[in-house]
Amino acid sequence: MNNLWEFLQRHSHWFLFGVLEVLSLVLLFQYNSFQNSVWFSSANTVAGTIYQWRSEVASFFTLKQANRDLTLRNYHLERQLAHLRKLYTGLTRKPTSEEEKGMEFLHQYHVIPAKVVANELNRADNLLTIDRGEADGVKPGMGVACGNGIVGVTYLTSKHYTVVIPVLNCHSSRISCAIRGHGYFGVLRWYGEDASHAYVEDIPRHARFKRGDWVETNGFSSIFPEGIAVGRVEQVYNSRDGLSYRLKIRLSTDFGNLRDVVVINDKSIVDRMRVMQAAKDSLKLNVRE
Amino acid sequence: MTADIFKRLGWFVVFLLVQVVMLRHVHLFGVATPLLYVYFVLQFPRHLPKWGTLLWAFVLGLLVDIFSNTPGVAAASLTLIAALQPYYLGLFVSQDAPEDLRPALKTLGTLKYSYYSVPLVLLYCLVFFSLEQFSFFHIFHWLMCVVGSAVVTLLLIYTFELAKRK
Repeated sequence: MNNLWEFLQRHSHWFLFGVLEVLSLVLLFQYNSFQNSVWFSSANTVAGTIYQWRSEVASFFTLKQANRDLTLRNYHLERQLAHLRKLYTGLTRKPTSEEEKGMEFLHQYHVIPAKVVANELNRADNLLTIDRGEADGVKPGMGVACGNGIVGVTYLTSKHYTVVIPVLNCHSSRISCAIRGHGYFGVLRWYGEDASHAYVEDIPRHARFKRGDWVETNGFSSIFPEGIAVGRVEQVYNSRDGLSYRLKIRLSTDFGNLRDVVVINDKSIVDRMRVMQAAKDSLKLNVRE
Repeated sequence: MTADIFKRLGWFVVFLLVQVVMLRHVHLFGVATPLLYVYFVLQFPRHLPKWGTLLWAFVLGLLVDIFSNTPGVAAASLTLIAALQPYYLGLFVSQDAPEDLRPALKTLGTLKYSYYSVPLVLLYCLVFFSLEQFSFFHIFHWLMCVVGSAVVTLLLIYTFELAKRK
């Protein structure tokens, strides 16, 4: 007995070693299924605050570029708006009341502006952290976009910070999107390595489009409204089974220089989800009968 | 002894902040990220109890993980290095060396210190990137990450060691 005790005492650090390693590996393999693991991510308050300091210092040095981008974008949008308004009034001939209706439509999108406080590009499963959380109305599963296009989907939220799964995430990012003007839809995927390109898969064989066409969100998912830019078609490949096209697209969002984003809180999405759920439930009932 | 702990705690905070605020965002040629915090474990003196090295390393690894959203990766690999460090150091110092010997370029000499630090850092990068990428999705990319990061980390460690010697 004494010998055993001595043996255990002499090798106690190996047991400690085992315990710590098991603990780490549990964290490693369970992370994605722990919805409550916000404490072990950069969305916790301490990590978030430190990243915020860092990003405030860093944003100072990119202000010029950000300003120029925004100005350009603004100009672009205003031109587009003017053009569309002209078309719209031309079609309806009742400018004032119809225009008001159009404005109402815009109001249903409630956006929460946020700043990226931590970002990464070089891993297979990148994540980014923004400085808005539950206190600002952010919930898991909301869409995130920036001035130039799509960014990702919120994943873990704490009181003041949120971890976002960006498009640049091999295993978790699947966003439904479509080719602008043609409507054929597919799934946006990313396979690592290059942060400026991604792939759209499952585009049907009979789809007609050309290189340089815009890809945008299609509003089928419950996360993004339709029409948010994703990127432009650069190459067209056949899928591995030959049944569909696989498009290589150049992402319009520059993930390497991401600072200001918005979280999209679309009120109509909730309604749509409710209808979808009701439809699914009734289908189930029918099957049972 | 207490002063020793506070000093180590100070270095702990410094290594953590330097890693998460600066070095984490460095990707030389898209692959090489300095993982300087392994230097913290390399510096553990001889008399530090083994459970002490394990706990220090685990907590540092866990905090780095929390900041970089890689739960368990750094914690697991750094704990492994901390478990090996006392035994591996034992190969290079004689039994009658002073108890509070701190492995450094000055105390071990250039050759012995290289034999001590290079394999440990290389092993750390190997385990770290294997756990992080896990599926060996791109074996070449993985290899470049391991070698690149080990080289950059070692360069930083040697810079500090040389600066300390003077």
